Amino acid sequence: MNVLIVEDERSLAKEIASFLKSENFLCDLAYTGREASEKIAVNLYDFILLDLGLPDYNGLDLIKEARKTGSEASFIIITARGAVEDKVKGLDLGADDYLAKPFALVELLSRINAVARRKFNITSQNVELGEFVMEIQSRRLTCKGNLVDLTKKEFDLLHYLVINRDKVLTRQQLYEHIWGNILDDQYDSNFIDVHIKNLRKKLNFHAPSPWLETIRGVGYKISGD
Amino acid sequence: MIRLKTKLALFNLLSKLAFTALFLLFLPVIIERINLRQVDNDLVQKREKTIGLISRYGIEPFINPDSSISFGSYNILKEEFISLEKTDIPDELNEIDISSRVLEDEEISYRVLNYTLFVDGQKYLLEIGRSLTSIQQAKGNISRILFIFIGLIILITFITDLQYTRLILVPLEKITKKLKEISSPSKFDLTPVKTNTIDFASLDSALRSLMDRIGEAFRKEKEITVDISHELLTPVSVLRSKLENILLRNDIDPEVAGKVEESLKTLHRLQSLVNSLLMIARIESHQYLREDTFSVRTLIEEIIEELKPLADDKEVALTGEFQQDLLYRDANRPLIFSMFYNIVNNAVKNTPSGGKINIKCFSAEKGLRVVISDTGKGMDDEQLANLFSRFKSKKGNDGNGAGIGLAIAKSIADFHNIEIQVKSAPGSGTAFSIDFPRNS
Repeated sequence: MNVLIVEDERSLAKEIASFLKSENFLCDLAYTGREASEKIAVNLYDFILLDLGLPDYNGLDLIKEARKTGSEASFIIITARGAVEDKVKGLDLGADDYLAKPFALVELLSRINAVARRKFNITSQNVELGEFVMEIQSRRLTCKGNLVDLTKKEFDLLHYLVINRDKVLTRQQLYEHIWGNILDDQYDSNFIDVHIKNLRKKLNFHAPSPWLETIRGVGYKISGD
Repeated sequence: MIRLKTKLALFNLLSKLAFTALFLLFLPVIIERINLRQVDNDLVQKREKTIGLISRYGIEPFINPDSSISFGSYNILKEEFISLEKTDIPDELNEIDISSRVLEDEEISYRVLNYTLFVDGQKYLLEIGRSLTSIQQAKGNISRILFIFIGLIILITFITDLQYTRLILVPLEKITKKLKEISSPSKFDLTPVKTNTIDFASLDSALRSLMDRIGEAFRKEKEITVDISHELLTPVSVLRSKLENILLRNDIDPEVAGKVEESLKTLHRLQSLVNSLLMIARIESHQYLREDTFSVRTLIEEIIEELKPLADDKEVALTGEFQQDLLYRDANRPLIFSMFYNIVNNAVKNTPSGGKINIKCFSAEKGLRVVISDTGKGMDDEQLANLFSRFKSKKGNDGNGAGIGLAIAKSIADFHNIEIQVKSAPGSGTAFSIDFPRNS
């Protein structure tokens, strides 16, 4: 998929690009609004990651322009300007999602994938985890036909690890994904540990879960088969 | 305290009453003066007439100049009389006074004109009198009519004054109402109030220009907040992405990975701190909307569900007791959630294993009260005093989250006019008492 990264902070744009390339995206960079405007007019993009705080352009105008020229790119706004109005305006103008800086790269990826699933109407497949089956659509986890009774948060946690399979997720990344930004300030690493502990207890009651790994000093990951 | 329109109407009424009282006090004297002058003029005319008659017909038709019998004539109702008699008094008389005459056992007051005149060398005294009884009666009648009339006028003008002052004070009331309804500078109503009173118009325009300036200051503060947030969070963002990319490499040494994660953690503390300060700044500059309506009970149940795993892990009992609920209007739900979350999370952190935390919702004098009490280690007075301040580190805190959570809770409470009180003593736990304002 083609992604245009519109971001005036060059080193950030490059890091995002390097990450997305490793996830098999084709990335294009624009450091100014003018550059972005020209590229949008010429190329077809599936995604445009748009920083609203451009020095030469009101980022929101880019969305309007793109829509006028018939571009069907999905916009994901990334901004450090936390103003609520910007968020509302951006979503009103047809942006598909909104991420506040600083964000985790894996979070960006999961947002892009979520928008892509919506856009192309992809239904999530069931995922096998050892002897467990995760039914994404119905938000259920079963083991040999038996339902594993998970809380909403536990399911979300497991799901996030599943979609980032083979990647080590830090406690902070997990916390931010599940609790969002309003509680960001009370980030408590112990929180994730407690939930993982409970999750393991429930899983192990049904079957062993060696695939859910603790990476000492870093975080957690689900290793793929 | 008294309303302006009442004050004006009362002043009008009192001044009218004072003037009327003064008027009524002098009224009898004035009427008497006027009447007496009238009577006097009358008497003088009659005297002239009589003198005229005497000079035309001589004195004989009235009185025999040789005899000493005097002439006297009263009309039937004794309202008037005229008398003519010889006199030897040396003075020349031409005066009017009041004297009493006894007639048929009845004493009657008369206004009497005394006049001496010479006819054929003989001095005569002419007396013309008019009864004062009729004057007295007229005075009483006029007073009564005037009294009723003035009373009526006062009543009518009082009512019209009241209505009129109410009418001209309408713009003032509108201005007051406009000011009262302002909940934040973003909701200033800058439309001018309609009035043709210069004073109100200038008051209104002064207020509007004040609101305009405050609004401008708020906008600037907002912009500064946004700028600072951008400036601070962008470098954090760059660093974070770089470190995360390093961590994602497959060939990374576990020891390096640990160090990178530690750096990320430190970076996150910085991010948290900036975000917390921005959040407080945004709350204090009223950049959050208050448009949600929700049940406080449901929200607290969510908080309990959220923090239960953490409490269970610590073997702390976290319970809710709901005697009263509140459908909270015009509030920001995520902020209120954050407020409770911070307070309850703080309680969980500070309650040792085996302890209890209870959240009780009940109806107090002011409205819904939520009391969050724990069996934790409690705080001394110094800790209590610094509880809601931003940077005073609290003893016993692990340093995580910079201890700013309660400062956030406090600013959210202030933003919503919610009162928070804390009772605590070392060794006897802490109780946060949260009073919601009554829904308007």
